Amino acid sequence: MTITLSVAVLLAIVLIFLLSDDPGRTIYYFFAGPFINRYYLGNLLNSAIPLVFAGLGIAVAFSSSAFNLGGEGQVYAGALVTAAVCLALPDTNGFIGGIAAVLAGVITGAVLAGISGYFKMKWNTDLLISSFLISAAVVLIVNFLITGPLDDPASSLLATPKIAEQYRLLRIFKPSKLNISIVFSIVAAIAVYTFMYHTHRGYEMRICGLNPDFARYGGVNVNTYLVLPMILSGALHGLGGGLAVTGTHYMALKEFTFGVGWNGIAVALIAKNHPLGVIPAALFFAYLDAGAKAAMLHSDVTFEIAAIIQSVIFYLVTAQAIFSFVKYRQRVS
Amino acid sequence: MNVIHNAVAIMAPFLLAAIGGLFTELTGMLNIALEGLMLIGAFASVVFASATGSLFLGVALGIISSVLVAYLFAFVSLRLKANIFISGLATNLLASGLTVVLAFKLFGSKGVIHFPGAPVLPLVSVPALERIPILGDLFFGHNILVYLGWICLVLAAVVIYKTPFGLRIRATGHDSSTVESLGLNPQSYQLKAILVSGFTCGAAGSMLTLNLQAFVPNITAGRGWIALVVIYLGNKTPLGILIASFVFGFAISISNYAQGFMEIPADFILAFPYIITVVAMIGYSAVRHYRSQKLAMRRDR
Repeated sequence: MTITLSVAVLLAIVLIFLLSDDPGRTIYYFFAGPFINRYYLGNLLNSAIPLVFAGLGIAVAFSSSAFNLGGEGQVYAGALVTAAVCLALPDTNGFIGGIAAVLAGVITGAVLAGISGYFKMKWNTDLLISSFLISAAVVLIVNFLITGPLDDPASSLLATPKIAEQYRLLRIFKPSKLNISIVFSIVAAIAVYTFMYHTHRGYEMRICGLNPDFARYGGVNVNTYLVLPMILSGALHGLGGGLAVTGTHYMALKEFTFGVGWNGIAVALIAKNHPLGVIPAALFFAYLDAGAKAAMLHSDVTFEIAAIIQSVIFYLVTAQAIFSFVKYRQRVS
Repeated sequence: MNVIHNAVAIMAPFLLAAIGGLFTELTGMLNIALEGLMLIGAFASVVFASATGSLFLGVALGIISSVLVAYLFAFVSLRLKANIFISGLATNLLASGLTVVLAFKLFGSKGVIHFPGAPVLPLVSVPALERIPILGDLFFGHNILVYLGWICLVLAAVVIYKTPFGLRIRATGHDSSTVESLGLNPQSYQLKAILVSGFTCGAAGSMLTLNLQAFVPNITAGRGWIALVVIYLGNKTPLGILIASFVFGFAISISNYAQGFMEIPADFILAFPYIITVVAMIGYSAVRHYRSQKLAMRRDR
């Protein structure tokens, strides 16, 4: 892990030297930018929240050998449904209506992922591909809904109208967008950890991931654990999307959750699928994004260099042989 | 009969990418990097074609770029033993990041970049034969890369079924210890298969941008994934992927045609290939499931 992260940092520096005309300035803003004021720091922490939920969702799925590749669509659809429910109930009590709206988002995510799990159980349909394809279609349909029927004609943004005041979560680090959903994300990580490591069902689920044959021999209903982890995974993604609406944006914008689903996979892998490890991993990913954004605003590189660095982390994070390969090189030279 | 003519043009990138993916699939690897490799080929070919003014150099350098990234993907997956699914994701992410960063650095734009000076893909036009119903639409009046796809398909079928190399490719996926027992290294066949997929994906990508004379960020728009599904639906045979990619091309061509007189939102048109793919996949797995159940019942009796 140390090698992976140091390669990532090194690569960031190399890329900046190649791409920027003022590398010193760019490097400063890339690495220190997220900390120069309350606004940037708060937004860095805030942007880690959906990554924690997505990372938890992936960790649940991967540690039970279910593959959820549809996080992107589940977060996005969860967010849209939450916004739609808030907009449909403009005068309800904030607490009740807010919970109903986020719950609707959670259910949306759970159903979308659950479909793939169900067909895997029933007909052995490839989970990886079906979850990806459903998500890819859902992203486009949500795009249509946001820019079409649910678009706010009064605003020039491609977005739904803003949700009512009473649904907006408390901001705790003004002027940034950081809000109390950060507490929910930590609670969720602890809850997922407790479920996976300290309950009977969680134990059975992990056994199915480690060795399905052994689990079947031990009398575990393996089929259940194809659907359940997918539902949980989708629910966590939907929750992340719903809270992004009520906590951060107050509306659903076109493609505003873009990349959360993919980065959630990297976050879970860096954390080695451990629910508590997801939190620091999500912070690291949010830091890379925040640094790239600060460098784009204050210097001359584009935001997508973060994607290149993240892709290299992806490359190295599961490379089991990297240690032996480095050692082999040392021996040779 | 324009629908059929367009279907052949639309299916060509799926077909090319699926041919390369077939090689990796036969060696037992799930190659989800097809999408990213296509994107690299798409970007590099139009940039080089416009810079050199030569269509051949553009396509060749596009393919070489895609093969180089495929080599990186293979190195990490095989040599560093990374999970091939994750390194495939990484390749896709790298491709979408790298193309945008390079486009911004070279052309100062992150949007659509036009290359009006880039050479046009010549059409193979035989006016007399094009007028034959259906057959004329299927075989004539397409750009030369469409024909490259067909040549690759025939070559792939010959290589896979009629050469020792193809036999070893199939053996690697079937039971790699057989290959080892011959004193050969199964990994080297997996490497070669990935490089072949880089080649065909590079060609598939170059078709997208050279047709438009422009690069659009993420121009591949899920075609690599559809190619992967084409391989599955085609039952991992060259003839199968030809039929499956035609079915896709035809479906998309019809939905484009329908847009002409029905008001379908553009996002739905874009979503259509994914929806039809997932429905086809679920249907396919159901058929497979019931067929194997029937076989098992027959055996029991």
